[in-house]
Amino acid sequence: MSAEFLLGAASGIYWGDTIFYLVLFLVLVALIKHFAWGPITSMMEKRAEKIASDIDNAEESRAKAEKLESQRQAALKDSHVEASQIIDRAKTNGEQQKSKIIDGAHQEVTALKENAKQDIARERQDALESVKDDVAELSLSIASKVIVKNLKLEDQKALIDSYIEGLGKQNEVK
Amino acid sequence: MNEGANVQTFFGIPFNIGNDVPGLIAAAIVFFLMFFLSRRIEMKPTGKQNVIEWIIDFTNSIIKSTMPGRDGQKFGLLIFTLFSFIFVSNQLGLMLQITVNNVTYVKSPTANVMTTMTLAFMVLLLAHFLGVKKFGFRGYFKNTYLSPIPFLLPISVLEEFTNFLTLALRLYGNIYSGEVLLKLIYKFSKVYGIASFVPAVPLEIIWQGFSVFIGSIQAYVFVTLTMVYISQKVEKE
Repeated sequence: MSAEFLLGAASGIYWGDTIFYLVLFLVLVALIKHFAWGPITSMMEKRAEKIASDIDNAEESRAKAEKLESQRQAALKDSHVEASQIIDRAKTNGEQQKSKIIDGAHQEVTALKENAKQDIARERQDALESVKDDVAELSLSIASKVIVKNLKLEDQKALIDSYIEGLGKQNEVK
Repeated sequence: MNEGANVQTFFGIPFNIGNDVPGLIAAAIVFFLMFFLSRRIEMKPTGKQNVIEWIIDFTNSIIKSTMPGRDGQKFGLLIFTLFSFIFVSNQLGLMLQITVNNVTYVKSPTANVMTTMTLAFMVLLLAHFLGVKKFGFRGYFKNTYLSPIPFLLPISVLEEFTNFLTLALRLYGNIYSGEVLLKLIYKFSKVYGIASFVPAVPLEIIWQGFSVFIGSIQAYVFVTLTMVYISQKVEKE
């Protein structure tokens, strides 16, 4: 303050001005801080943070996109291979199934044929046996009737023949 | 060059009203300008917001040049306000001067030595206070007066006074002389009637333009030196 006394001596020292300007300046600082500086700097900081995070995010998403792209490429390549594999497998499966079905059909047909033959043979055997029994029985009954009634062979021959014939026909139908 | 002073005494303290009113006007202009510029702050700056952010970036760059890093950031508000106040003060007297009863009520407040000395005193007091706060009184004394060589102590003490005087008088001298010359040219224009008025008009315009330049430079120099003095006190040499 001594310097002020030296300089101010020429025109009188109005040292109230010093107090006035100090107070004025401090009030100005406080007002500017509240109305301008505070909001502006906080916004500038926020912006700086946002820009930094945006840059980070962009980098991150770029890396993610690249990874996805390479994954997609690999998947595409894999799918080509897989598709051809599937087709091959389906072909071989089809071939196998085809031959299996044909073999099965062959076997079944032969088995059916065999069964049919056997059935036919057995039927025939059965028919022959029953015919034999029937013929014997009929012969006996005819014989007994002939004996009882004293029939003439010539009279009855046609009847017997037709009878036997009917039996044979009955067997054939069976 | 109105030497008259309207001195009022409140509580036994003499106030020069002729010096206080321009300061009040300059402060009001600064406040309303900044208030106007800082309305509707948005994340994406537009128009007015760009202007105030440009000024803030400018004053922050002054701080960064002398005190890089996070230490300097707390001075942002002080330097911003100091710069805008001194800048507006320097330009105020170039545009408008109103004199009532031989006392100029509207002029550059920085054309008065009391104003500039108050500002210089304030920032140097702040610098010394921060030095003591950071290093303690012993560390502050050692850092300011005994380094680099202890026997330079007298010169170091003297330097603190010259710092204060040069900081205050540089600003005062530049602005005061600018106003003096403006008034001299104005008086010259009236001396010989039309013969002096015609050459005085371009002369006045040229000098006003030059004074705008000087006022801007001096505002810049004042805040730069403020930061230099503060950084000298709070950083070990």
